[in-house]
Amino acid sequence: MYALVDCNNFYVSCERLFNPKLEGRPVIVLSNNDGCAVSRSDEAKALGIEMATPAFLIKDLIQKNNVDVFSSNYTLYGDISDRVMKTLGSFVPRMEIYSIDEAFLDMHDMDYTDLLQLGMQIRMAVKQNVGIPVCVGIAPTKTLAKMANRYAKKFRKTIGIHWAANDRLIKEMLAVTEVGDIWGIGRQYALFLKRNGFNTALDLLTAPEEWIRKNMTVVVQILFNGLKGIPAIAWEFKPPPKKNICTSKSFGNLQTKKEEIKEAVSNYAAACALKLRNQNSCCGSINVFLQTNLHRTQDKQYSRSITIDLETPTNFTGEIIKYALKGFDIIFKEGYNYLKCGVMALDIIPDDKVQSSLFDHCDRKKNKTIMQAMDKVNRSLGKEIVRLSVQGFEKRYRLKTEYLSSHFTTDINQVLKVKI
Amino acid sequence: METTLKILYYDTKVPAGFPSPALDYTEKRIDLNEEFIKHPLATFICETEGLSMINAFIPPKAKLIVDRSLNPKNGDIVLATLNGEFTVKFFKKNQYKCWLCPANSKFPDIEVTEEMNMQVWGVVTHIITDVNDVRSCMR
Repeated sequence: MYALVDCNNFYVSCERLFNPKLEGRPVIVLSNNDGCAVSRSDEAKALGIEMATPAFLIKDLIQKNNVDVFSSNYTLYGDISDRVMKTLGSFVPRMEIYSIDEAFLDMHDMDYTDLLQLGMQIRMAVKQNVGIPVCVGIAPTKTLAKMANRYAKKFRKTIGIHWAANDRLIKEMLAVTEVGDIWGIGRQYALFLKRNGFNTALDLLTAPEEWIRKNMTVVVQILFNGLKGIPAIAWEFKPPPKKNICTSKSFGNLQTKKEEIKEAVSNYAAACALKLRNQNSCCGSINVFLQTNLHRTQDKQYSRSITIDLETPTNFTGEIIKYALKGFDIIFKEGYNYLKCGVMALDIIPDDKVQSSLFDHCDRKKNKTIMQAMDKVNRSLGKEIVRLSVQGFEKRYRLKTEYLSSHFTTDINQVLKVKI
Repeated sequence: METTLKILYYDTKVPAGFPSPALDYTEKRIDLNEEFIKHPLATFICETEGLSMINAFIPPKAKLIVDRSLNPKNGDIVLATLNGEFTVKFFKKNQYKCWLCPANSKFPDIEVTEEMNMQVWGVVTHIITDVNDVRSCMR
């Protein structure tokens, strides 16, 4: 059996943990740049606020109903997520962290005969120790576990757990799950299936295998096996090193000045370099891109990217910034309102597999020592305490985070203040 | 709660002769995280403002170590939420009732009634105070 544990309205739950006034009230958390609602409390959902609604569209609704609005505080959510995941990990021998707020637990070799009870314990432990409410779905495959989790959220709200323990219970669950709600089936596929008379997951299960093979992609066929109770999706315990690393954000305000965008490019390049070092990789080429806001039809539009091959793969901040800026110099054009820029690290290889070039003038050993020293200082004294001067300090382009809560758990100066 | 701990490492070259007699007694240094935080995943820190707990050695600006995994016992100091606000008080209870009690005679005991929304957020296990903050309260 597999369990899928999923945090309820995770970002909102994190905000509530340190702000008990929010209990029982409509709360939403916005995406980067305060763009769209990405986490909604049940009360906010009840007001009809849909997932990913742009904040400006619901301005009136927010005001009229006194909805509490937060910018995403990923520093806080990251730490709380880590606590949740480690708490979950203490219950089972193997788990796979699927996203910031959900994880699959492997329950195959458990002594428990009653997994419902184990699920209950897990749920209570996370609620008490970390303060985050979770739902648990337990089933023979990951696809079904995901579905059982949905089922728990929808039909078992008070206990927050569902165990699809046998064929009867699985069938019952399949019968009330619409095809569009099956994990991995997108909106287009759902429409196609409905046109062909398949409304629920159970309908799909009764489809002739021949029809499925002919009409569906491999991914869906794998899912189909998953629905039938045949475990198909490979068990991944540790995320593989990323093959592409990209740092890119929209500017808080449209930017026109070369100097300021240059600062942003430098910072994104530095962030890529750090990500590379954290996973012990180097990149062989760098892509820099720049674009205006497509939706502003009154503006002149411009969008370009450039890829630069490096002579020797690297993860040194200075080098990556140097090449990123070289690319930026080539693609930047005056006279546009820029919305976004970004840096991508490509051709990623492990740093012990780097072949140095014959004409390499760089003292790689010395650079490595410098980077290690820099990372160490930044880890202990705070992010980006040591940086290259080109990265600047003002960050005029930075994200809009008007409604940001404190970093309660990661910064001693921002801990919860209690009037007593 | 993360811990960085320096392990003692003797980089003294002892070509021959008498090695340091202390080498056999090398132990790791005391780690405050390990000593004072038994459940790191469930432990949070908060900072106090106000004088209601002054006689329980909690001056203003004290940092409290709060463990959510512990169940509150009669007489524990707790971080609680009361009608949407955080507070720190002694938690007292008998068979029928429970109270949140200050440690300062200028403040009243709060009897928790049905209509109040009170929840214990976590149990305070340790108090960290800057000596200067204590001194300024004693004047």
